[in-house]
Amino acid sequence: MLEKLERICQVGIESIESAGNLDDLEAVRKELTGKKSSLQEVLKSLGGLETDIRKSVGMKSNEIKKNFAEKIKEREAEIVSSASFVEGEFDLTLPGIEVNPGSLHPITQMCYDLNDAFRSLGFELYSEDDISSEKYAFDNMNFAADHPARQSMDTYWIDGTENKSGAERLCLRPHLTGGSVRYLLEKGAPARFVYPGRVYRNENTDARHERAFFQYEALIVDKDISFSSGRVMIDAILEKVFGRKVRTRMREGFFPFTEPGYEIDMQCLVCNGKGCKVCNQSGWIEVMPGGVIHPNVLKAANLDPEIWTGFYTNIGLDRLVMMRYGVDDVRLFHSGDLRFLKQFK
Amino acid sequence: MNISFNLLKNYIDLPENITPEQIAYDLTMRTVEVEDIIKTAEKFHNIVVGEIKELYKHPNADSLTICMVDCGLDEDKQIVCGGTNLHVGHKVCVSMPGANVVWHGEGDPVPIKESKLRGEKSFGMICAAAEVYLNDFFKNPDERIILDFTEEDVDCKVGQNVSELVGMDDTILKIDNKSLSNRPDLWGHYGVARELAAIYKLPFKEAPNDIPQGLPEYPVDIQSPEQCYRYAATKIENVYIKESPAWMKTLITNAGMRPINAIVDITNYVMLSVGQPLHAFDSSHVEGDKIVVRSANEGEKLLLLDDLDLDLSLGDLVICDTVEPMALAGIKGGKKDSILSDTTDVILEAASFAATGIRRTTKRFDEKTDASIRYEKGIDTQRVDLGISLALTLFKDIYPECKITAFGEAYPYKTDNIQIDIEQEFLDVRLGTSIATKEIEDILTRLGYFVNHLNGTYHCTVPTWRSTGDVSIKDDILGDIARLIGYEYFDAKPLPVNFEHSIIQPDYSLARKIKEYLSFRCGFFEAFTYPWVEEKFIKAARINLDKAVKLSTPPSPETAFLRSSLIPGMLDLIDKNSRNFDEFSVFESAQVFEKGEYHPSSNDETLPIHKNYVTGVVVGDDIKNLFLRVKGIIEGLSGYCQCESIEFCSKNQPSWSDSKVWLNICSGEDIIGDIGLISLASLTDSGIKNTRAAAFEFDADKLTPYPSRTNNFEHLPHYPLVEQDLSLVVDETVTWNEIKESIKYMVKDLKFVEEYRGEQIPEGKKSVMLSLKIGNDNSTMTTKQIEKKMNGIIKLLKTKCHAELR
Repeated sequence: MLEKLERICQVGIESIESAGNLDDLEAVRKELTGKKSSLQEVLKSLGGLETDIRKSVGMKSNEIKKNFAEKIKEREAEIVSSASFVEGEFDLTLPGIEVNPGSLHPITQMCYDLNDAFRSLGFELYSEDDISSEKYAFDNMNFAADHPARQSMDTYWIDGTENKSGAERLCLRPHLTGGSVRYLLEKGAPARFVYPGRVYRNENTDARHERAFFQYEALIVDKDISFSSGRVMIDAILEKVFGRKVRTRMREGFFPFTEPGYEIDMQCLVCNGKGCKVCNQSGWIEVMPGGVIHPNVLKAANLDPEIWTGFYTNIGLDRLVMMRYGVDDVRLFHSGDLRFLKQFK
Repeated sequence: MNISFNLLKNYIDLPENITPEQIAYDLTMRTVEVEDIIKTAEKFHNIVVGEIKELYKHPNADSLTICMVDCGLDEDKQIVCGGTNLHVGHKVCVSMPGANVVWHGEGDPVPIKESKLRGEKSFGMICAAAEVYLNDFFKNPDERIILDFTEEDVDCKVGQNVSELVGMDDTILKIDNKSLSNRPDLWGHYGVARELAAIYKLPFKEAPNDIPQGLPEYPVDIQSPEQCYRYAATKIENVYIKESPAWMKTLITNAGMRPINAIVDITNYVMLSVGQPLHAFDSSHVEGDKIVVRSANEGEKLLLLDDLDLDLSLGDLVICDTVEPMALAGIKGGKKDSILSDTTDVILEAASFAATGIRRTTKRFDEKTDASIRYEKGIDTQRVDLGISLALTLFKDIYPECKITAFGEAYPYKTDNIQIDIEQEFLDVRLGTSIATKEIEDILTRLGYFVNHLNGTYHCTVPTWRSTGDVSIKDDILGDIARLIGYEYFDAKPLPVNFEHSIIQPDYSLARKIKEYLSFRCGFFEAFTYPWVEEKFIKAARINLDKAVKLSTPPSPETAFLRSSLIPGMLDLIDKNSRNFDEFSVFESAQVFEKGEYHPSSNDETLPIHKNYVTGVVVGDDIKNLFLRVKGIIEGLSGYCQCESIEFCSKNQPSWSDSKVWLNICSGEDIIGDIGLISLASLTDSGIKNTRAAAFEFDADKLTPYPSRTNNFEHLPHYPLVEQDLSLVVDETVTWNEIKESIKYMVKDLKFVEEYRGEQIPEGKKSVMLSLKIGNDNSTMTTKQIEKKMNGIIKLLKTKCHAELR
């Protein structure tokens, strides 16, 4: 009899362990401990047995019952912890469900990156309107009266004003710098501000030249500052754009609205200054012009150049974005082509 | 501009331990940008003098000869050659393997390798002059005539590199002309040498400036002194046309010009050396033996050297004899008095012309020359002396038999030295460091300034060659000091700190938030289009052009109008992108313009009206959904962007919209924008087929940003709300707004679920499903209360909207 119980126990445990899910396990539980189970049958047959045997068989079968219950509980926990809602296979390589795609233009992204950097340095934002006048774009900026940029072949003049002069001759602004005087007239000095925006040049277009492109200009005006303070602005721009400190150098340059003026080069990031194709073997890449505000510009802004001085820097955003992503055709920026725009997350 | 080291040697001795690379670097950092360094000997690599020792007929080709040539190597080399003038003892030019030659004198250089020609080995190539860059130095009648150094009387040795024979052992710096535009003094080697002498603190060899004395007067009459500051004429007799000596031809070539004949070459050599343009007239064609400098008469004509016939007008300065114009002053010579093969006497012109006149005339005739480029920068009148002095030395050297027979000049205006005072304190503050007086004096003196330091002030006399506009204020001198010390030696100084206020610019924050909302929350891509729009799209959008601003010289005739709305640009984008995508959303944020009066900075300036528009389109095919998406985007904008909330109204249909499906965006009483389906007409006229789109456009300046976040916290409900769905049947004319308004005060929350039209709904009716929440403020609702409330709501819907439960 005891051997029979032993076998029941063994078979029972095996069937508990082979139950694959909770439903199977429930069926097994019924089979092993239900009223019609073989164990129950053994207990039913106890009546005809001797007391001693009856007692030991009883104890044994209770023990088995308890054992079954424990094993079922264990198995249940096992099944629950490894359970899946999915029957069959689930292809985990399927693409995730896309969140609303959409992005800012890569130039806007760059512009905002720079805004954040300059705001952290205490610079205000400013924007000049797209249409300006010869007075603000050229006269105030100390451009010579016969400077070639004043010609119609270089600047987009507004119909009906092209033969006038000064404040009456209007144009799509050819550069951002004219905005500096507008800001200073409005807010005075000291000042530190950035003024990003789109500028327009009457040019033939190709992969490197555009008629509408973006600049980012920063200006500090203060008393008794040295031009070397301007390097902080330059470093801020480049560090933000490239995510690390970039070596720069200032060298002689000439612009009507600065004196002295500089060209600012950064160390070529492709060869780390050793000289390569990208930097034409020089180790340096020209990135932006800058310089000390010309006294005539300060005068145009009603500021006394004996008291005030300052530092400009101006960077071509298109070119910077091209460097950031390796874009090889500047015309793509105004193409509105989603195959291009969708690449900038 | 090219700077030749060999030509620089006339004015400075550069120590050999300073490499060309270092010089290029220092010039770039201190003065002008050097774009390239060319070592002229490099292109002659492995091109040497060889001597023909033996000649054989080529077994397989009648026109070829096999030569055994001594190239200065261990053994004679076999070279196959097609030349017709070969002979034993012929000193030839051999391009050995590794050399690059211009095949037949045309095209790009090709590397030479050891090869076989018709089955015979050939080590390199025996070359004609044009094939090895020597056509400027040696006659080259035919590529089959091989250069013969013996015949050319060139002193040479077998194996010698040919660059040494012609002075091509030079180094040339290519300078970016743009970086020279404010430095007229650097348009000659003399000026660059002075800079180098200042940079390296080396002695500078001043050029002589003596002009002829005691000669008979050559009459010169300047009738336009405002345009011609000085004119000197020197008559030189007994010259003739010949080639310049080789050294001069080489230097002219290296400095970037082409040798022509000795007389013209002298004028060019002087210009390249000291920066003073010169011109030589054939004296026999100068009528009346007199030079008249005057403004041209209206209708006067001048035939230029290059046969261009100019119609002159008042204001064009011309150099005339007593009869007619001979040259366009400072720009180009005329045909009549040019140097010809029978020229024996010349009048040498050295003059100073006003920069503005030269610039104007150059532009008018589109004639830019090496002379005009220099004059339009503004040359000091004193430079004429340097030009004459050097030119006469060269004439005497190249034509020992020549005679200088007359000299005359008119000199109505002399370049004055500009005087500038600078205080030590100004320099200290602006440079951010204190530079010793001695150092400042040394730098300025080397640059040609005369400096007198008294009581902390430098009285500076600017040299005349910098006094024509380049240096005019003390900041210019500060720049000279800073650049010669070297910008790299000034440390980056921290900015002065100013903690007075934090920067709060709600307008700029709003503009950015709108863009970020559209991109990151609504799934739009930001696009840029040009402010000039193709007229086709403006017309397609039915936009009135009365107030449109126009460009005088637009990129193309079709794009003359500047945008007054961004919708036309969007039509263009839909057209382009619908070829690649079925569904997409794009937006643009940009300025638009209309005629009007606007004074942003000062009252003398009147600009057109500028508005900052934000415009977007949602493209797809489900018309109703497109519109409602756009509406939802506008409804959600104020929440995300923290600006005053936006309402809709129906006042003016936008020109581009569908006749039924549109709304105006309002702020108070003002219409600040529109939303709508784009009309079939607008799409069709834009060439867009099978694509539908809804658009929004609004004036972002009309949105008022909140200074901070404004929504208030609401307590969570203490007692549970009961959610109920209702399905109503109403007349088609009943709007959601009417339904909402009728019951909104009865409910805690009300949501539109869907609209339905179909079989079970009678014609002229629609089914509207809504979901609402009701609840008590101070207890849980009982079943009875719920029933009572719902009955009330249903009753209200019946009376106000004639709604039936479905």
